[in-house]
Order: sequence, then C-alpha cells, then structure tokens
Amino acid sequence: MHPDLLLVLPLLIPLYGTLLCLFLWQREVWQSIMTGVVQLLWLGSVLLLLREVLSAHVVSTQIGNWPAPFGITLVADMFSVLMLVAAAVASLAVYLYALQGLDLTRQRFGYFPLLLLLQMGISGVCLTGDLFNMFVWFEVLLICCFALLSLGGSKSQLEGTLKYVTINFLASGLLLSGIGVVYSLYGSLNLAELAVLVREPHHPNLPLLSMASVFFLVGFGIKSAIFPLFFWLPASYHAPPIAISALIAGLVTKVGIYAFIRLFTLVFVSDSGITLPLLAGLSALTMLVGVIGAAAQTDFKKILSFHIISQIGYMLMGLAIFTPLALAGSIFFILHNILVKTNLFLVSGLVAQRYRTFSLKKLGGVYLLQPVLALLFLLTALSLAGTPPLSGFWGKLMLAKGGLEAGNYILVTVSLGVSLITLFSMTKIWNEVFWKPRPRTDRPDTILPPVSKLRRRMAYLPVVFLLACILGMGIFASPIVRFSERAADGLLQVQPYTDTVLAKSKPEQVEESKQIHETALHP
Amino acid sequence: MRTLIFATTIRYLTPLFLIFSVYILFRGHNHPGGGFIGGLIGSIAFVFHVLAHGPERTAGTYFQLTFYHQSRQEHYSLPRHMWQLLQANTWNRVKQGSPSPWRYYMLRVRPAYMMATGLLVAATSGFAGLLAGLPYMTGFWLPFKLPLVGGLGTPLLFDTGVYLLVLGMILKMVFTMSKE
Repeated sequence: MHPDLLLVLPLLIPLYGTLLCLFLWQREVWQSIMTGVVQLLWLGSVLLLLREVLSAHVVSTQIGNWPAPFGITLVADMFSVLMLVAAAVASLAVYLYALQGLDLTRQRFGYFPLLLLLQMGISGVCLTGDLFNMFVWFEVLLICCFALLSLGGSKSQLEGTLKYVTINFLASGLLLSGIGVVYSLYGSLNLAELAVLVREPHHPNLPLLSMASVFFLVGFGIKSAIFPLFFWLPASYHAPPIAISALIAGLVTKVGIYAFIRLFTLVFVSDSGITLPLLAGLSALTMLVGVIGAAAQTDFKKILSFHIISQIGYMLMGLAIFTPLALAGSIFFILHNILVKTNLFLVSGLVAQRYRTFSLKKLGGVYLLQPVLALLFLLTALSLAGTPPLSGFWGKLMLAKGGLEAGNYILVTVSLGVSLITLFSMTKIWNEVFWKPRPRTDRPDTILPPVSKLRRRMAYLPVVFLLACILGMGIFASPIVRFSERAADGLLQVQPYTDTVLAKSKPEQVEESKQIHETALHP
Repeated sequence: MRTLIFATTIRYLTPLFLIFSVYILFRGHNHPGGGFIGGLIGSIAFVFHVLAHGPERTAGTYFQLTFYHQSRQEHYSLPRHMWQLLQANTWNRVKQGSPSPWRYYMLRVRPAYMMATGLLVAATSGFAGLLAGLPYMTGFWLPFKLPLVGGLGTPLLFDTGVYLLVLGMILKMVFTMSKE
C-alpha cells in the first residue's frame, strides 16, 4: 500500500473507533465489540507498516502535501514501528482482560473510547517527525491517562491522579520551554531538519544546544520516571483497577523512553562527552533505586510499580553506552518489557479478582487453587528477571555485552546486580502469593467462589496470549534481535531518515509553497 | 440570576452571535478566525442563554425537535389529516400539558453527539487527499468563489468539524456545570 495511507492508518483507526464509541455512548456491549474490531485493525495496520519498513527502511508522508520543513511530517522507521507492534499486542491483551476484569460502570462511562484515544496518542508520538507535534501527541496521551486514572472516582484513585497530573503538567511546561529554546536556536522544529542543522560543526548556536537538551532531559525524565523524578509513579499507578493500570504501566512510561531515545540520538548529540556519563549515572541510579524500593514493598501492585522504574534504568543504559549493540539491547528490552510488565499486572489482577486483595501478607496458597495461574506468573516473572531461555535474558545480554565492549564496567556490574535483586523480588512474590500456605483470616469469605469454567478460561486468555508472545520472543529471539539491530542502526545513522523526510521538499516545491504562503497572507 | 433585561437582551443577541461565529468560521482560512474561534463565539450565545434561562430551556429551545403525531380520526380524509399534522408540527404547534390525543417524538442533539459529528467531519475531510493519491488532508478548492463566504473546499470542511467539536465541548461543559 502507499505510504501516505499506511502512515495515517494507525492514527485514524483508533480515532474512528473513538468516534463510533461516542455515538454509541453508554452502550458498553456495542462499544466493546467495536473496540475489539479496532484493536485487530490497529494491529493489522501496524504489521503492514512493519512490512513496508522492512523493505524501505524509512517511510514518510507530509500531511496536507506541504513540503518537509514547513508541513507536518509523519515518519516511520524500524524503532517506531517495533514500538507500535509491541503496543498493539499489549493493548489487545489489556482489552481482552478488560472485557471481564473491569466493572460495568467504568466500561459504561468511557473506558473504551479513552483506551482508543490513548492508542491514537501512542501512534502519534511514535510516528511524528516534528518536535512540537511530539509534544502535542504526548498531551493527547496524558489527557487520556488522567481521565483513565480517575475513571470511577474512588478516593485513592483521585489522590493518585492528582499527583500524576501535577507532576506531568510541570514536565509538559519544561518540554514546551525546551521546544521554544530549540526553535529560537535553529528556527525549525522538524526533527529531520534539526538533525541536519545540529550536525553542522560551525553553527553559531551549537554550544547553546546542550542548554535546550536539559529541558528535555528533565521533562522526559519526569514522564518516564528516571531517577530523582520517579516518586510519582508508584504513588499513582497502584490506585486504579488493573485493566487501566496495566495499560498505563506497560505502555506510557515506555513511550516516554521512546521519545527520550529518539531525541537524544537524533537531535541532542552534540556534546556527548557530558550527556553520556550523566545518562550512565542516571540509569545506574534509576535501576538501583527502583529495585531497592521494590524490595521494601509488601503489596503485589506496588512491587511491580517499583520494578517499572528499575527497568526504565535498563532502557536508558543502552542510550548511555551509545554503541549499536547496546542501543539494540535497549530496544529489545523495551519491547520485552512492554509485554512482560503488562502481563505481570494482568496476573496480579487475576489474583486480586479472586482474593480481593493485593497485600502479600493476606495472600497465599494460590498455587494449590490455581496451578495454571501460578505457572503463568512464574514464567513471566523469570522472563522479567532475565533467566536464560526467556526474553529478558537476551535484552540484558545485549546490554551487558555492549557495555563490556565499550568499557562501561561499573554500569554493567550494577545492571547485573540489579538483575539478581529483581530475581529476589520476584521470588518474594512467588513465595508470598503462590507458595506459602494461605494465612488464616477472620473473614472466611475473602475467596470468591470460582465462576463458571468457561469464564475462568476466558480470563486466562489475555495472559496466555501475552505469555505466548513473550516465549516466542525468547525462543525465536534471532529475528527480533535482528530487527532491534536494524532499528539501532537507523538511530545511529541518521542519513536515511533525514534524506527520506527532506527529499520530499525539492527546491522548486519549497519555492512554490513559500509563494502559496505569501499569497495566503497577503491576498 | 434571572433578570428580565438580561433575558430580553439575550433573545436579540443570540442570532447575532451565531451569525458572527459563522462569518468568523468562513473567513478563517486566510484571515484571523477559523473553526476554533468560531465555535467559541458561537458557544457564547448558548452560554448566555443558559445563564438567563437555565440549561433545560436552552436544550429545549435549540437542541431539541419535537414531532407530533396522532392517528387519523374517522371522519377526516387523508389530505385533511396530513394538513392537520403539518399544522400541528409547524406554525400552530400543540401546547403540551393538557391531556391531548397527540403523541410526540423528540429528536435531541446531545453535545456529545455534536462533538462526535464534528470529529467525524474533520477527520473525514482529509480523505479527499488520499482518494486523489496525495497525502492525507491535502486541500482541494472549488474553482469559483462565493460572495461573502469565499472559496469552498476541504479545509473549510475541516474547520466546520472543528467548529462543531468546540461548540459541543463547551455546551457539554456548561450543561454539566450548571446542573450542579
């Protein structure tokens, strides 16, 4: 298919889904059917895009046919498409879970349209080729997150949302200031053009670029929960029901990291002597603090929330090492983490559906009652910790190998140590929730009677589906590793990216569009 | 706060605001204006109406159509029956309240539907470009220009969508907030 169509489809399919959901307001059955169809279509459109990118490396389109530095650019390269594929798979699983795991009130009052709008936001961030548009798509995403986090309006949810909203507004303000600074320095916000301008060695504003990059470091640092700015994440992610928090925990922070990696490989590369050690320090601290925070928790969801932070550190590690192998490791790790983290949240949701609690002290003996669920959790958790044949191992292997080759021994040591503590933390959940005998409680009715067999199997479906993807990713790792390496190459060699975007603006076309702008302004 | 002066004034101001908002919408492509601002100005009319008369009356006056119907009486011929229906639905409208043989159907334009329609129009206007084999949202204009309105084309369609979206959004907010 033509790239003009292929690139807008991942945006338009969720948008039209949202529209249909709005027309079918409060008819949750119709909305859920519609959303299911849209999930499949979205996955399909993203896979088509992947096929296109496999043959053409970079594809781009100019919205409204205005040439590149002036118009709105949509670009897809390997990295963005891989992100979208993982996001589509994860959100399909979350949707399947929400069908039976989310209460009807929340389904009726807009869960489905918000889910679809969130997906449109993710597509937007991943496909945009313009700094300001990236900001706007982030806002789309965040507004959906605000609404989803507070959907239902229980007290703890509102408290969590308030923290999330406050800190994210601050981050958005910083980003917007950074965008203003970049525009004043280079007079353009098109990422491809910026990438070309920044690589000119004698540009007068080059020394000031690192000042602009600090805004983005802090802004995206907040949004993706990097070391000193992570505190909002565990506070707000544990409050909403699992069908919401799994989606946000699995996807939204990773989209922040995507933007981070995209900008710091494409635009803010000028003084890597300062940024890279800084990033290395931040990533080591993020890993450590996240995993130590997790070790102190005694709540299923909170442990998982802290682990998000520690894994963000790994994703940053590849960027800090900045070699092709390490970046590929980062990308592989992001893909793996989207699936695994979503799956762990879904498992915790299945446990809590039956036992009505997330507290490790009150849970126990799940292994005896639901051995299949225990097995599903075990495999996913081992994959998160990075046990050899599973997907987490390959990501960590690539990161460690890249780090050792680049001589970043401290960072590698920290990452391996953190892996060990992650394993400890997962073992803690396994022991407390699944293995130890069920504690005696005063209330004998905390175990809900099991629902019908078919419904229970349906409930396992999303977890089994995601686990199949994770196992596939671990066992047949080589094509995905190859994809990640290609994505990393695409990040480091910006030439194809900038050429594809800017080739659409041939000089005469630029002249013509300038004339059109002129006549439009002074008729 | 329901004052007679305000309520009377707003009756004359409402069409003015609406006409001005549509004017702003049409001139918006090449001049200051457009769907967003037009929608905001258009919504001022309804916001004032809500302030003067309350949300139920605004919804009833502007966003609701009532159709009256009754089955044909025995001694009426078909043309006479149709004439009666036409009369009841247009200039000689049925008064509600007293027990009457009329049944009525209400067609409501909810703000949420207005928003959805606006988004639908705006998003669909971009497909013209795709159908022509050009990128999404490529603008196409009709070759002639109308007096007062200016050129007609797909960007105008997009702006109309934005107009409806903004109008629906503001109305939704105002209706929700004035209920509490």
